[in-house]
Amino acid sequence: MAEEPVFNRIAVLRADRGVSRRDLAAALGVHYQTVGYLERGEYSPSLHLALRIAEFFEVPVEVVFSLKPFPKLGSAS
Amino acid sequence: MSLRERLDGHIARAMEEEHLVALHRTRRRRRLLVVAGAASVLLLWADAAVSWAIAPSDTAVRVNLVLLVVMAAIYIPVVTALNSATRGLASLPESRLDERQAAERFRAHTYANRVMRLVLGALAVFVVVATWDEGEKSQIPGAAVFLGVFALLWTHFLLPLLVAGWRLPDPPPDDDQDDDRDDDQDGEQSDGQAGAA
Repeated sequence: MAEEPVFNRIAVLRADRGVSRRDLAAALGVHYQTVGYLERGEYSPSLHLALRIAEFFEVPVEVVFSLKPFPKLGSAS
Repeated sequence: MSLRERLDGHIARAMEEEHLVALHRTRRRRRLLVVAGAASVLLLWADAAVSWAIAPSDTAVRVNLVLLVVMAAIYIPVVTALNSATRGLASLPESRLDERQAAERFRAHTYANRVMRLVLGALAVFVVVATWDEGEKSQIPGAAVFLGVFALLWTHFLLPLLVAGWRLPDPPPDDDQDDDRDDDQDGEQSDGQAGAA
């Protein structure tokens, strides 16, 4: 079964907060490469990990993850 | 902390060290490593076949030794590089892996299991065909049986790592590399702007 894509804003949030991949990975207890694969959309996290990522950035989970592509910065929507 | 946990921690740290990076930097190189790893296992099967054909004899012993030395010479660097590339995905205990790594290891084991079924099926067919003419009187040298079982075990042991190495996408660049790349790009852009101006 083909995996449905899950879009995320981890890279944007991480850059905004000035957090390195290794720091985020350490806070989440995952390998730093996993953060990279998440950012590239090559791995969809479990619900537990998704909630912990949202908790780390102190935003609702739907701010970080979406089933539809996020609008680009500056676009009308 | 128990001895086992300390040993696992030591192995986990070793897997994070960059060994033979030049050998596994690109997907093409990793796949060549996998082919080389498969070739090293094939040498074990060749070893068993040689024993079946000409054992017991001095020639069989010499050929077996040469094949084992060549196998080890290929196997050690290939497995070291693949373990480094996969960060111990197929070697570390599951408690040392995160959910992505554990899921990827599960997939690697699933594919390896399928391949192993084919290998076992092919082996069964081969043994039946090779002993068909002699029937109940057929004899297989003990050395061939031993080396065959050894090759089978080694194949079973190595396949998950080979599958994981074959499937592994290019890893995301490290933050430091990102910074280096950004610096390079900034330099290129400023050069380009200077050129345009």
